Amino acid sequence: MADAKSRNRRISGRGDASLAKKIAVVLRSLWARGEGKFALVVLALWLVVSLVSLVWTPQSLWTTDGYHVWAKPSAAHWLGTDGTGSDVFSWLMAGARTNLLIAVLAVALAGVLGMALTAAMVSRSAAVSGVAVVVVDALISIPTVLIALILAVPMGASVAVIVIACGIGYGLNLARIARPQALLAAGSDYVDSALANGASWFSVLMHHIMPNTMPTMTVQLSLSAGTAVLAESGLTYLGVGVPSGVPSWGHSLATSVKFIDVYPLTVLWPGLIVTVVVVALNVFGDALRDAVDPVANPALREVA
Amino acid sequence: MPTNPGAHGEDGATNNKTSMTSNQASGPAASQPTDAKPTDTKPSDVKPADAKPSAAASTDETLNAHVKGGSGSVAGGAGKKNGGKRHWIWLLVAAVVVVALVFVFVVVRKPKSQEAQGRQADTVTIGLKLAPTNLDIRNQSGSALDQVLVGNVYEGIVTRDSNNKVIPSIAKSWEKSADGMSYTFHLNQGMVFSNGDKLDAHDVAWSIEELVKRGYHDAESMQNFKSATALDANTVRIDLTAPYANLLWTLTGRPGLVFDQKAQYDPKTQAVGSGPYTIAKFTPNDSITLKANPKYQGANKAKTKTVVLRYFGDDNAAVNALKSGDVQVLAPVTENLAEPFEKDSEHFTVSAGDDTDKYVLAMNSKGDKTGDKRVREAIRYGINHKELIASRGGADKPMGGPISSLDPGYQDLTGLYPYNQAKAKALMKEAGYTPDHPLELRLTYANTYGTELGDQLRSQLKAIGIDLKVNVVEFSTWLQDVYNNKDYDLSLVDHNESHDFSQWVNTMYYYNYDNAQVRDFYNKAMAASTDKERDGYLAQAAKQVSRDAPADWLFNYRITTAMRKGVKGFPLNLNQTLLPLYGVTYTQVGK
Repeated sequence: MADAKSRNRRISGRGDASLAKKIAVVLRSLWARGEGKFALVVLALWLVVSLVSLVWTPQSLWTTDGYHVWAKPSAAHWLGTDGTGSDVFSWLMAGARTNLLIAVLAVALAGVLGMALTAAMVSRSAAVSGVAVVVVDALISIPTVLIALILAVPMGASVAVIVIACGIGYGLNLARIARPQALLAAGSDYVDSALANGASWFSVLMHHIMPNTMPTMTVQLSLSAGTAVLAESGLTYLGVGVPSGVPSWGHSLATSVKFIDVYPLTVLWPGLIVTVVVVALNVFGDALRDAVDPVANPALREVA
Repeated sequence: MPTNPGAHGEDGATNNKTSMTSNQASGPAASQPTDAKPTDTKPSDVKPADAKPSAAASTDETLNAHVKGGSGSVAGGAGKKNGGKRHWIWLLVAAVVVVALVFVFVVVRKPKSQEAQGRQADTVTIGLKLAPTNLDIRNQSGSALDQVLVGNVYEGIVTRDSNNKVIPSIAKSWEKSADGMSYTFHLNQGMVFSNGDKLDAHDVAWSIEELVKRGYHDAESMQNFKSATALDANTVRIDLTAPYANLLWTLTGRPGLVFDQKAQYDPKTQAVGSGPYTIAKFTPNDSITLKANPKYQGANKAKTKTVVLRYFGDDNAAVNALKSGDVQVLAPVTENLAEPFEKDSEHFTVSAGDDTDKYVLAMNSKGDKTGDKRVREAIRYGINHKELIASRGGADKPMGGPISSLDPGYQDLTGLYPYNQAKAKALMKEAGYTPDHPLELRLTYANTYGTELGDQLRSQLKAIGIDLKVNVVEFSTWLQDVYNNKDYDLSLVDHNESHDFSQWVNTMYYYNYDNAQVRDFYNKAMAASTDKERDGYLAQAAKQVSRDAPADWLFNYRITTAMRKGVKGFPLNLNQTLLPLYGVTYTQVGK
């Protein structure tokens, strides 16, 4: 047992040391690709704007000027004002951090749930894996929107509704997609030998099976982040997303879309931002898949 | 009971006053030919300019002139003979196109307008917002049903004019006994229901008795009712147990409707009434088709054979329907969305009508924070009503008390708590709050009103030291939390009913408001023997309510109606609850 533990420590120690290098290599090879560059720039901008909006926006969010509603873009209001007379640009800036929070939390929840379900589905207990497979297959058929609508009944419109609904929906998807690879790894010779050497099933899961699903997981999570941004807009439009007064892109869309006939510009800005960010996240997922795959990325093999 | 929160447009706001010069005002017909000309004549026009720099290099004027005139627009070096030919071809094409366009406008368009002009349409289509789910006016609540049926399909013993005053309908005249306990109505003669049955005093008395006996919708508003008796075929007497000053007005609504006691029909999908229209087709949540009642004998004979009411849940779809001509009238249209129609005054008219909608910001009089009168007063001083109204497009009217201008007892109370931030701040400070140590309050309201009002109130009240948490909820949640459990600090409802002052004397109502003096004034008003006396007491009661600040009246919502030029006789006032359509006509004008 002691032997196995020290070996595990050694393995994980080596893993930590090379992780930074690996990330650097992955980022470099992402940057080398055109779409990767685009995605990185957009995502970096998103992060920066979110951080800046915490301390500064061109206009205070809670300043409304009822005498100048639906104003055209001007020096004071870079993208004009909305129906309450608030500054559209400031609200979009502040919306960036809400959407970032939602995307990160939804992806985190989906990741944890996905991994737990994957682990259950490749469990050595036939009963556990059998039940897990059936449960995942059954639940996956429930649309995310429906989950959100059901959650909104007791919780009302809130960020938590979006995060939980997306987390559940994407977590199930994740497990479904990662299962074949996890199964392949679980049945492999190195897992057998690790087990024969006395490693616990948990450590085998952590050190052999899960790392094998990582490329699929990262891509899928990146796509999920994009879908979470879309879901936020959609759910907020339906009235079960972010509550009134919380800035988000969906909020900006929902409040302006009623007047799309008269003031199409106000719908254009949040729509454009959502589109660009979602495209960036999707492209990021594709680029990331190639960058983190040692088979496709020779530079990564050299580090490892 | 706010039967219809969010009955009418709730949306945010616009400043229509930016008088953009009319790019639409010229209209399609005017703009098209002028647009077309430059493009069609382009080839011949453009050629010389194009040719100049490349081909006209010579200093010899004649040579240059030759090159100018002769070079083809496409093939600069194709040779002069060829170029000359093309020149003529292009000119010919251009001429043909111009002639064709002129032909189109003169020959095709003109007859159309001649044909349409001056001829009254057989059908008028009207776009409305709230659709009734069925036609059972005795049991189904909702003002959408009153809107379509009262005065059109069913008639009441009396009715209202556009200023909310009682006027004759089935009864041509009436008198009240000196003690105010009995009313005698003299009916018109020769009236029939749409199925041919005779309408007489027995139907009238039966309808009112049935209403009270079976507790049909709105029966509770027939206060102090004792009996309705047919004295003879043309006379009905209503007896009361005590005077009730609102009786006549109450009879203009559902309680006064007269039904045929012998008719057999399904009231959910059909209607047998005595009004100028009959129901020809009813599609729930979509449309209702009214046909002129051929048996109608009264004074309000329908002027248009068919009136179609179409219901639009979506504002954008409604606006598009008016633009494309699918409907000729849209009521209500959100003030901000009406802007394109206001600009296009050649084809549309946009006007606002008075109504009795009061956007009431209720402040829980027994709430642990809003129980403090200083807080409630500060809120009233701290709200800039003019700005709220401006952001909504400017059609609404400020109001300072619980009675709207179309209801008895109205007086202008806007001077009681004028917008005064300094005073509001001082009151808040007295109560122990400043902008640095704000008072946290919850504003709970139904999502039918949109988020704009909440956002604006939050912004306005922030300045006086109130941190407003805006809770926009489903109507059912609002009913549960606010209306039933009275668990709220501030709430927002469009109370659109008329003659609804009684809610301020009902201590069980969600306002949690209780003032014995107001109740005394109200009781005196209801027992008054003349309208003047009644109005006087109501005005005093309203003033007292406003002084106590159990609520702030954000504005008196006015309905904006947009219609095509050529629509006549469409009622603007009160048209969300009372929409008499007998006088509506549409004559297409212009192109």
